[in-house]
Amino acid sequence: MTDALVTTVLSGLVLGSLYALMASGLALVWTTLGIFNFAHGALIMLGAHLAWTVSDVGGYGVLPGLAVGVAGTALAGVAIERLLVRPFYGNRNLLLITVMTTLAGMIVIEKGVQIMWGARLKQLPRLVEGDLAVMGTVISRHEALIILLAPTLLLLLWRFALITRIGRSLRAVGQNQESAALVGINVPATFSLAFAISAALAGLAGCLLGSIRFVTPSLGAEPLLKAMIVVIFGGLGSLGATVGAAYAIGFVEAFLILGVGLYWSPSILFLLLIAVLVFRPNGLFGKS
Amino acid sequence: MGRLSLLEIGELSAGYGDITVLRGISMEVGEGETVGLFGPNGHGKTTLLRRISGLLVPGSGTVRFGDADISTAAPSRVVMAGLAHAPQGNTLFGEMRVDETLEMAAFTARARRRKAEGLAFVLDLFPRLRERARQRACTLSGGERQMLSVGVALMCAPKLLMLDEPTLGLSPRLKRDLGAGIAQISASGIALLIVEQDVEFLLGAAQRLYLMESGTIKQEIARRDAPDHAEIMRIYFGKDEA
Repeated sequence: MTDALVTTVLSGLVLGSLYALMASGLALVWTTLGIFNFAHGALIMLGAHLAWTVSDVGGYGVLPGLAVGVAGTALAGVAIERLLVRPFYGNRNLLLITVMTTLAGMIVIEKGVQIMWGARLKQLPRLVEGDLAVMGTVISRHEALIILLAPTLLLLLWRFALITRIGRSLRAVGQNQESAALVGINVPATFSLAFAISAALAGLAGCLLGSIRFVTPSLGAEPLLKAMIVVIFGGLGSLGATVGAAYAIGFVEAFLILGVGLYWSPSILFLLLIAVLVFRPNGLFGKS
Repeated sequence: MGRLSLLEIGELSAGYGDITVLRGISMEVGEGETVGLFGPNGHGKTTLLRRISGLLVPGSGTVRFGDADISTAAPSRVVMAGLAHAPQGNTLFGEMRVDETLEMAAFTARARRRKAEGLAFVLDLFPRLRERARQRACTLSGGERQMLSVGVALMCAPKLLMLDEPTLGLSPRLKRDLGAGIAQISASGIALLIVEQDVEFLLGAAQRLYLMESGTIKQEIARRDAPDHAEIMRIYFGKDEA
């Protein structure tokens, strides 16, 4: 029984870490531009494919694959901002228009990947091989790395936003675009930066996910849904709230799988989320 | 005037979509000079400031600032040139602390070089901001926000500072404090262009006034020819006061 408990806690930590990586990018774009990037899941999927091509087809190994996956996805994020979002700045329906344009972007990326890479199941090598014994149970070193890597990176991102000049300019643009422009911040460039960071996080999540699940053109669909739920559940707010919500959902999901099994846990998870939103309409950590 | 002009505006026209608000505005502000701009509400004063600082898409006409042509410049370039704009009724960055906001406001290369002295100047000017340093901007009172708004513009290390209705909603006491602050800013060599409804306040601060009406400059007034109360009423309401 204690073995099952430890396994479940570890599984909750892995899920929470992955969700935190996926959702924080989505939240960053939301807090900076006030839009949802529906192509975020497709970027996760693209990152995994780029990494697979470099590490598996190219034979360059796992770390160069990771680097190309992250960098390539960051570029794709900038392209999405330039092509699908920037033409509509200043439009009062920006939120609704970009729901459509980024959904279109998602479809283009998914179909493009399907044409270029095919639908055959692929899998990324693990970042580190081998297993680790933890308190009477076993976890792969790859998953242990995810548990350590995600909070470290997000902590760095938080410090970056809090104390650096560029990080502060990101927050400034998110809070008041005009005032930010009036102190000399290049607002469109800051939007590009937000998309680049967000997409890089998506790419990283894709590379980590690609050795746990199969890499296919539809790899990003479920992560997109989960990331959206996490961001809304966290209260559409700060990085901290989003990360907190990611781990909360990761743990609930892990314990649901232990308690009611894989089949029913998504439905029950949604019921729980709806119940929370009934009592806290602004999310778990949201302010009214 | 006999001094160099810092800001020179020629035949400036602009508006929002199909609506023309500014109709051929020409005016200037000299080095170190304080100039007031007044006139009835909704006649284009705020639009003029937004057009100068690049927030509004350019129509026609020219804006020269020192040696630079900033007629069609983006806001970030205007700030870099040394022209700062404290907009009206500003809420700034609600979730950011006062000290963070001021530090962040020294964003351009030019402003960063003068960050330390700028911060000392602002905190000396508005000691209240020092007390509130660790509070988030959204917890400040209206007067404190106004101070922060002026402070943020000062952190940009401007040669010319444009203030849009700085006394809006301030108590008489705070107005007096702000007036003293503006005098101090002017004494430090910074030129000012102040948009105000309160003509008495403007007369205390500015050397020259422009009266704006229906998107045009109706009149230029030297301080010694200052309008009296009845005249101001006539300007605002279009008839003599009973």
